[in-house]
Amino acid sequence: MRINPPDAYWKKDVSLFFGKRFALVIKMLYPLAIIGPVAASGIPPEFAAAVVGIVAIMAGTFGAGESLTNDINDGILVRFSLTPTSPYRIVGEILTVNAILDFIQLLPALAVVYLIHTPPLAWMLAATFAVFITLVMANAIGILLANFTSSPADVLLYATIILFPLIYVSGFFRNQNPEGWLAAARDFVPFAYMNDALKEVFGVAGGMSPAEVFVLPAIICAVVAVAVCMTAPRLLSPRL
Amino acid sequence: MDATNTPPTLDSENISRRYKSSGRGVSEVSLTAEPGEIVGLVGPNGSGKSTLLRVLSTSIKPDSGSFRVCGFDGLAEKRKVRARLGLMMDRPTHYADLTGHANAYLFARSYGVNEKKTENILAELFEYFDLAEYKDERVKTYSYGMGKKLALIEALAHAPRLLLLDEPSLGLDYTSQLAYQRKVRGMADSGASVLLASNQVDEVEAMCDRVIFLHRGEVIESGTPDELVSSVGGIRRIVASLRVPVEYGAVSEVPGVERISPEGRDLVVHCEERENIVADVVGAVVRSGGDIVNLSVERPNLADVFVKLTGEALARED
Repeated sequence: MRINPPDAYWKKDVSLFFGKRFALVIKMLYPLAIIGPVAASGIPPEFAAAVVGIVAIMAGTFGAGESLTNDINDGILVRFSLTPTSPYRIVGEILTVNAILDFIQLLPALAVVYLIHTPPLAWMLAATFAVFITLVMANAIGILLANFTSSPADVLLYATIILFPLIYVSGFFRNQNPEGWLAAARDFVPFAYMNDALKEVFGVAGGMSPAEVFVLPAIICAVVAVAVCMTAPRLLSPRL
Repeated sequence: MDATNTPPTLDSENISRRYKSSGRGVSEVSLTAEPGEIVGLVGPNGSGKSTLLRVLSTSIKPDSGSFRVCGFDGLAEKRKVRARLGLMMDRPTHYADLTGHANAYLFARSYGVNEKKTENILAELFEYFDLAEYKDERVKTYSYGMGKKLALIEALAHAPRLLLLDEPSLGLDYTSQLAYQRKVRGMADSGASVLLASNQVDEVEAMCDRVIFLHRGEVIESGTPDELVSSVGGIRRIVASLRVPVEYGAVSEVPGVERISPEGRDLVVHCEERENIVADVVGAVVRSGGDIVNLSVERPNLADVFVKLTGEALARED
């Protein structure tokens, strides 16, 4: 399969990702630079899991939202949307390819974590899948935000406003065992499942099974992804 | 071409689209473009040319009205319409970190052109527009004019049935302008229709079979260039190139002079057709202290029509 020259929108993103070598090195190294020392340190597992989780969430949300608003402002995305390519397909490709590229960036860091902590295979797979689902969810949030603003700076601001409650509800900080409505809300946030899986990887046993990590966040994420793709006509229309 | 049997490539009826923020846009614009026809859209800045092209490109929805492209409904069958359009917007946009060839390739393939045909047609177009040497360079290194040529290549590569061009020659060097005009005329000769929005009235006059004048979003006149030029009657233009600009008050007092517009060192005098008017104008310029280094007397052209129509429209508003 030929990536360059690109004959589809997603191949364009892949081509750009691998085309800028210096940027590629930085993108691959920075998660490693943050997560590697954390994995090797003796900090409590719940906080180590929180660091990995927050890196994944931020990378996904900021990446998609910022690059998308840049392309919208530039007019190139609107121009591309005037080809016969379905707008839903374009947004679907943006979401999928950005999540996969972010995932590729995080894989070396995750590999280091698994090498150091040698979790059971089931939890290793569950955590890896949960990180990917988190990246899809984070990119979906970034794309959703691009519907409401044409400023990359605003995306960062709005993302922060949306993400912090979600991160809090997911139990990244001191509310490790939420109760009541917080516990109910937590079940609907895919970040929480990643957090639980990563805590298992770092050595804290929770009440969740690997199967739950595979099934529930995937369903939630699929619903969110479809909802975000439905915004395509608005997202790809010119900002007048 | 049998116009009675062939449906128009573009058929729009009563298209209106006003921007809430500025109130500008277009009102009740109806137009057609027959196969093989080049239709010019002319009008002052803000007259609605770009808005109309945005609507026809399916980029924005009209507030009211409808249009069909090759028989497909522009509102209900957008993707079928888009597949038949070639677009060039006034501001060329590309993926700056991709090469020129990669950009054009992505667009051509997105329009459904197969791999082999894409490679062949792009090789031909890059050569034609003198970009072959730079096709493997990233677009961020391109000049504005090169970006415009690349946008033209992207608009033409999939052999569209209707070309929508917004200020296509702006920023192109003279040779490239001629090349683009030949290419667009060639596409029209092979049956494509072209809607060309431009403020380069000489280009519109040279290329278009029919011209539509817009003013404040409304069609105020349309016809062939010859019909429109004939409508300005005997008005002629006297262009006096001066060594240095001078005050030209005396020229405006010459009987028959309708309007004077200084363009750099040129004094462009629009006047009625009457005996000795050239001599009278030249005499007035000389009396004003003008040192004429070149003089030309030009027949009325589309630029005069533009000035006349926009002037009349403004007078009506007053």
